[in-house]
Amino acid sequence: MSEKANARRRKFQFLDALELPTEWIIRLCGWSSIIGIAAIFLFIFREAAPMVPKLDWIHFFTSPRWIPNPGTGNDASFGALALLVGTFTTTFIALIISVPIGLGAAVYVSEFAKGKTKETLKIIIELLAAIPSIVWGFIGLMILGPIVKWIFTAQPDTWWSHTMLTLHLASADTGAAQGTNLLTGGIILALMSVPLVVSLSEDALRAVPDSYREAALALGANPWETVRRVLFPAARNGLLAACMLGMGRAIGETMAVLMATGHNNRIPAALTDPVRTMTATIAAEMGEAVVDSDHYRMLFVLGIVLFVMTCGINVAADIIVKGVKGKTK
Amino acid sequence: MTTYRKTLSLGISAVTALFLVAQTPAADKKVEIRAKGSDTMVQLATAWAEAYRKVKPNVFVNVNGGGSGTGIAALQNGSTDLCNASREIKPEEKEKVKATSGKEVKEYAVAIDALAVYSNKANPIKEISVEELREIWAEGGATTTWEQVSPKFKGKIALFGRQNNSGTYDYFREHICGKKDGKQREFRPGISEMNGSADVVENVTKTPTALGYSGMGYKTPDVNWLKVSNKKGEPAVEPGADAARSGKYPISRKLYIYTAGEATGEMKAYIDWILSPAGQKIVEQEGFVPLK
Repeated sequence: MSEKANARRRKFQFLDALELPTEWIIRLCGWSSIIGIAAIFLFIFREAAPMVPKLDWIHFFTSPRWIPNPGTGNDASFGALALLVGTFTTTFIALIISVPIGLGAAVYVSEFAKGKTKETLKIIIELLAAIPSIVWGFIGLMILGPIVKWIFTAQPDTWWSHTMLTLHLASADTGAAQGTNLLTGGIILALMSVPLVVSLSEDALRAVPDSYREAALALGANPWETVRRVLFPAARNGLLAACMLGMGRAIGETMAVLMATGHNNRIPAALTDPVRTMTATIAAEMGEAVVDSDHYRMLFVLGIVLFVMTCGINVAADIIVKGVKGKTK
Repeated sequence: MTTYRKTLSLGISAVTALFLVAQTPAADKKVEIRAKGSDTMVQLATAWAEAYRKVKPNVFVNVNGGGSGTGIAALQNGSTDLCNASREIKPEEKEKVKATSGKEVKEYAVAIDALAVYSNKANPIKEISVEELREIWAEGGATTTWEQVSPKFKGKIALFGRQNNSGTYDYFREHICGKKDGKQREFRPGISEMNGSADVVENVTKTPTALGYSGMGYKTPDVNWLKVSNKKGEPAVEPGADAARSGKYPISRKLYIYTAGEATGEMKAYIDWILSPAGQKIVEQEGFVPLK
């Protein structure tokens, strides 16, 4: 027996020599994300740098005039207010929709669904997460757009149109007759971030020890009370992180919003006004902007703003999560 | 090993020889023609160049954009053979080319660029003037609703145009928005910028209060185009190939190719082909108006 074990040990002794290199390879894998992010930031910043001191930042944040290719004799105007508003509004709508649906779905999957239903749901949610964004954009353009248009179309002078217009639901300009708009884009973004919110929230809920559930039941709490009073507070950090990551997904998304929001550089006055996001602007204009021109550099400045925003969200999420943790302990 | 090497080198030489033999009959001298200039014409010029490869496989036309002015400058310093231009060359530019290259500039009109103003089928307004269009499209313009254009129709005007780096965008801005205090007026904010001409027409088809501009070639039966006059009250001209050719239709211009000195040899053959029915058919396919 021991001879056999010794033989085995000898046979695999060469593996010891691999120990150190393996350790380093794994360490490098870990560092690669740091190296990657540093490289990305350096690259974006290098491309944008010449524009940073030159740019009128107040104008950038307060003017909606985005005219990167001005007429002969005119100065370009790089006012990104409408683009910022476009990004924030679509993200906001996406969050309003995706957070309740995502949390609800997560509670159902983790607490109530049993056996086959649970497995099927989990697989389908993962499948949803795997749909490429261009397909989502296409769905927005071809299927959701016409539906939104049909619901919100303000036929002139009907009670429906008056209600829609007073509540700022229908667009006064187009009567939502343009299917691609803020709402369509927001819904598509919500659909895209729901799978992420669901699977992360579900993980968070599952991480709550069963003893908590048992204790709640023993105290006579019904399932809803258990979820609301026990599970949500216990899984708070994870749930918040899930929502934040869903938000990050919505802000950074490009292709789907490019197709579904109407690409209109304006500050929306109604829910179904077309808008334009920063990501869509970069995607639409980068291809033809002359390399090293002001326009080209401005697109990288937009990139920096996006980068700073998503970093900010992640850091904020981190701080909030830690703060919340500190309180509960 | 040596036998292997021998076989290998033999094999390679055999293949090379075969390749050479196969190449020889078709291998006329490779000719490169450089075409630079108007961004409006880049797609058209590229389509010509690609189609011409089938006519003469040994002629490579290298197409570049940058703008009509860039093309003319390149003609001066000899860094291009053909200059695509979406405007007529200015007399002083002609002088410059002559001064630097010693050759007279030769002009070839190759196509017509005419933009139609599209409206929805539900819109009863059938004609509009360039002046009115200016107030609708230009920054600071007074017209934002259809009532202001005509009592026949109501609602805010939803504008659909092209993205800001397209030649169509440039031309419409230059021609419609006009100038104010010697400066080009920009478009008003809040115009949906579409990535393709067909997208503009598609959106106008779907939006009752829409107004959009695109090449004449993009007309579909599901959308109207407006008759256009220069001033309100003047007779409006229906868009169409003939009206564009005769110059009666206000939003049209000729597209040119300029050369330094009379085109000769392969260059002449290429321009002749562009002006032939085969070349003009591509003009039509690309959404422009052919010369004949």
